Amino acid sequence: MNQLIVNTKNLNFSYNKTKQDIENLELKIPKGSIYGFLGPNGSGKSTTIRLLLGLLKQSSGTVVFFGEIFNRKTRLKILDRVGALIENPSLYDHLDAIDNLRIAANYRQNIANSRINEVLEIVKLTQAKNKKIKEYSLGMKQRLGLAISLLSNPELIILDEPTNGLDPKGIIEMRTLIKDLNKKYGTTIFISSHLLSEIERTCTHVGIIRNGKMLYQDTVARLKESKGTNVKFDIEVDKSIEALAVLKNLKVKNISLLDDFLQIELKNKEEITEVIDVLRAEKINIYQVSIKNNLEELFLSLTEN
Amino acid sequence: MTSLSYYISSIKNELIKLKRTFAFWLTIISALLFPILFFIAYSLKHKTNTPEIGINPWEKFMTVQIENSIPFFIPMFIVLITSLIMQVEHKSLGLKHLFALPIPKWSIYFGKLTIVIFAIITTYVYYYIAILFTGALLGLIHPDLGFFNFQPEHLKFVKILFTSFIASLGIIGIQFWLSFRFKNFIVPLGFGMFLAIIGIIISQAPQSIYFPYSFSVLSVSLGDQMPLTFGTSSVVLFSIICFLITSIFGYIQIKKMNIK
Repeated sequence: MNQLIVNTKNLNFSYNKTKQDIENLELKIPKGSIYGFLGPNGSGKSTTIRLLLGLLKQSSGTVVFFGEIFNRKTRLKILDRVGALIENPSLYDHLDAIDNLRIAANYRQNIANSRINEVLEIVKLTQAKNKKIKEYSLGMKQRLGLAISLLSNPELIILDEPTNGLDPKGIIEMRTLIKDLNKKYGTTIFISSHLLSEIERTCTHVGIIRNGKMLYQDTVARLKESKGTNVKFDIEVDKSIEALAVLKNLKVKNISLLDDFLQIELKNKEEITEVIDVLRAEKINIYQVSIKNNLEELFLSLTEN
Repeated sequence: MTSLSYYISSIKNELIKLKRTFAFWLTIISALLFPILFFIAYSLKHKTNTPEIGINPWEKFMTVQIENSIPFFIPMFIVLITSLIMQVEHKSLGLKHLFALPIPKWSIYFGKLTIVIFAIITTYVYYYIAILFTGALLGLIHPDLGFFNFQPEHLKFVKILFTSFIASLGIIGIQFWLSFRFKNFIVPLGFGMFLAIIGIIISQAPQSIYFPYSFSVLSVSLGDQMPLTFGTSSVVLFSIICFLITSIFGYIQIKKMNIK
């Protein structure tokens, strides 16, 4: 289980001398995981992916795939087991989906023609297979890009911001697709994103990067636990000043008021019922109660100075 | 997988990519342009162009046409077609995808270079066929032009065209590297057009035999006065050397290039 598909050691890279873009990066992607690579825009996610694939040459450090160091000799062997979608998919928009897939299949050489239809089916583009890419929506292009990376049944798929620019429906479809691939075929998936909610819902593992440095790397479950035991709530009420006074009497910790929202911290979820009962007894109207996303705060605290 | 199979699949893919592109049509349009112009000129003034009895009309028809089109047009055409073919890749952000595939980088570079050369040869072939066809058509419409009474001297003209092609290899190497290297279409196009014009202007100077962008003009204009190096036409030899150097160094540079 703990076998690593990708492991980088002391990876360093800079585009120019003034700034270190990637600093001593140690990336560990376990086999069978969906690994979320999280970081704000410009934090070095795409640069890392390009380093992994050999598109950029690192100034020092090593990249190990499937237990083998990535270099000139192993490049072809390793890339043969990897599928990648780097930022905007590379598609020839004067051609149709079939031609685009055929080009990728020709390059990889050992791919049966039937596989082209199979991957189209997986990304649900069979109906649009003869349409020119020019006429595709952004979501369809992303899906076709994914289909191209699936052609060779790779053991590892690298997806750079696969939901970027997609509408909510497209995002949900992409998320389902990624989970299915992982479940059905055991494919290890590496996704970069600047959206925490995306990673939280899709991934089993997470790595957080800022300014080219890895700040945190573990399972998503452990990241959630690491946030301590307290649960934060937002409560929308009509008489917020009164409500504040009531809750202070109740000895609730860390109460604050933001517009009409009370923010409180409780030991666990169950305690909220009691709070609601007390507020209602004082005839204070409650419009909504929501659990605040702890992970979001953690992410912000990690990625902001 | 053998090296050959990588190379062949790369060429196969380049052909698919050219489908329905302007680059594809440009080879046909460029080849037809001058033969059609000459066809019109001969049709309008067929009286003045009627040769004296016993004179081969093909000689003037082909010589004038080739001498006036090839030297100036070929460098421009090469600059344009190389940029256009590479632009198909740049426009689709294709390089980052290609260089992350399990295929050797040389198969991409030289596969594409082969297609560029193939497109240029095709244009020469279309051009020659178009000249013969328009000549025959003129002979049919105006029998007094005498195109059917004589045969064109194929060997002589094919040799001129072939020499012109070899003399162009040098700039193919340079332009291909530039087009591969720079995503922005303007760089190879602007650079190439500028040097092509300079090449025409300085072609009178004897030193122009060292300037690749003049080779196309010189290969036709110097004719028998071509200086020889090791017994071969200097321009042809320098062009081949320029092509080999720029292709090899171009590839080495591209291979090491960071794909951003």
